Amino acid sequence: MGTAVLAYRMGFGNLHQPGPGFFPFCLSAFLAALGFIYYLTRLGSDSKPERLWEKGVWVRPFLAALVLFFYAALMDELGFFSTSFLLFLAWLIIIEREKWLTICLASILGTLSFYLVFTVFLKVPLPKGFFF
Amino acid sequence: MLFCFIGALLGTAVGVLPGLGPAATISLLLPLSYALGNPVTSIIMLAGIYYGAMYGGSTTSILLNIPGEAASVVTCIDGYQMAKKGRAGAALGMAAIGSFIAGTIGVVGLTFVAPPLAAFALKFGPPEYFSLTILGLMLATYLSGKSILKGLIMAILGLLIATVGMDPITGNTRYTFGLLILEDGFDFLTLGMGLFGIGEILSTLEGKMKAELVTTKITNLWPTVKDWSISKWAIVRGTGVGFFVGLLPGGGAVIASLLSYAVEKQVSREPETFGQGALEGVAGPESANNAAASASFIPMLTLGIPGNPAIAMIFAALLIQGVTPGPLLLREHPDLFWAVIASMYIGNVMLLVLNLPLVGLWVQLLKVPYAILAPVIVLICCIGVYSMKNDVSDVMMMVVFGVVGYIFRKLQFELGPLLLAFVLGRILERSLRQALLISRGDVSIFFSRPISATFLTIVVLMIIAPILMVLWRRLNHKDTDV
Repeated sequence: MGTAVLAYRMGFGNLHQPGPGFFPFCLSAFLAALGFIYYLTRLGSDSKPERLWEKGVWVRPFLAALVLFFYAALMDELGFFSTSFLLFLAWLIIIEREKWLTICLASILGTLSFYLVFTVFLKVPLPKGFFF
Repeated sequence: MLFCFIGALLGTAVGVLPGLGPAATISLLLPLSYALGNPVTSIIMLAGIYYGAMYGGSTTSILLNIPGEAASVVTCIDGYQMAKKGRAGAALGMAAIGSFIAGTIGVVGLTFVAPPLAAFALKFGPPEYFSLTILGLMLATYLSGKSILKGLIMAILGLLIATVGMDPITGNTRYTFGLLILEDGFDFLTLGMGLFGIGEILSTLEGKMKAELVTTKITNLWPTVKDWSISKWAIVRGTGVGFFVGLLPGGGAVIASLLSYAVEKQVSREPETFGQGALEGVAGPESANNAAASASFIPMLTLGIPGNPAIAMIFAALLIQGVTPGPLLLREHPDLFWAVIASMYIGNVMLLVLNLPLVGLWVQLLKVPYAILAPVIVLICCIGVYSMKNDVSDVMMMVVFGVVGYIFRKLQFELGPLLLAFVLGRILERSLRQALLISRGDVSIFFSRPISATFLTIVVLMIIAPILMVLWRRLNHKDTDV
């Protein structure tokens, strides 16, 4: 409903000359109506409410999302490959809880492989940081 | 030929690897396809990935009981049982051969159906495009999941997301909240990789995939005479089902394979063998998913309406290259059109070779732990998104969409209609506003033109039919009570 109000303020126009807010307004109003209908169908439903996440199941996806947010936030400051190395470390230590040998090998070899393939071979421009 | 082979190889690898589907892979390779510079080469490679994944998906289904991609879910049921009984070779062989036959027939269908359909579509104006896009979205919503209401909500949300940025007609900014990064709107790649790539990874992290690899030696890939006599009609039926379902927006390989399995069980003289290792339960669905993969190119190439997320990615790849799929494609870019069809004939032969003798190689690929594969996929997504505009904020937006995609999956909202609606949103709005400008605000233009009226009548029937069925059931229930 909020988006419908915003859309109306953009300029609804009329059927002869639809304005920029015409289409978003129609969509928002329709979406609000559908949401209300969906709410009513759930209200009348006999089924018991289900838990979205069973015990502990949400932890790894939540940690992964957190790692990815920090990764994207630090990429400009530290450079792509430094942050990628940290991503491998964080992912394998915090989320996958692998052995130290696997963590070290995968992080170093993984980052190096990406550097060789994307920077040296394909010459894709990626953010540079302190080290490389 | 080289890029056809690369696409087929990558597609098979993607199909083999659980957790990474053809839609996500095509989205990862969209920037590379742009770098190729040639739209013909790009689409040949991306098409190879799509139908290649249909071949590869059967390998993990049969050997690991884990579907390599969504269209191979059904193959797990009987394929894995066959592998446990020492008949992995026959299952893999029949899956590959059935896929080859169905894929080739699908391409023949594409060759003969597409040109007359494209000629018919030249009669379309803005009202017809508006009605056709609405019909395509409705079909995609109808067929995408269990709940039509949820699918419709996702489709409208996708259309709304597509309005962010600059209005295509007046140039006014919409829903940007003063942020420069939103002035161009959301990028298809950011949305696609976020929802399907990152979202898929977050979903997979909820539980460790437990796989028991069938370790019996894989022998006798070529089916016996008895296997042929059991499966030949399953392959024919699967091809037919797959081709017609693939033509429909929202149809695609997943529904085709499910329908084919249901058909085979229905017509079988021994339905009790299904679930215990019935060869028809492998041959039919595997044929159906490949026929559907070929047929799903038809609405995209001839009408400009992509029918499923993977085809929507290929549609986006063509737009990036400056080629607009639709009725004019055959007239303006006949080289691209016929090159794609030719590549699909060759690609199917390549895939038969890749899938039969090289099955041992794909089994080795399955041994790479997902713990290492997941961060690699994440990095590829980030590079892909960053390289479009060299802007780190796109990477952050992709992560946000990834979380959104994960939450929608948990709430059991299908993402396919959202992505399709996002791709079609601009076409829909432009057609609507052009039609209203032409008719000077008279909405009857959509109903007075016969082709547009036909499409809209089908849409109305699709909306009314479920309501009437519910009312009919309630009426019958009351009558029986009385």
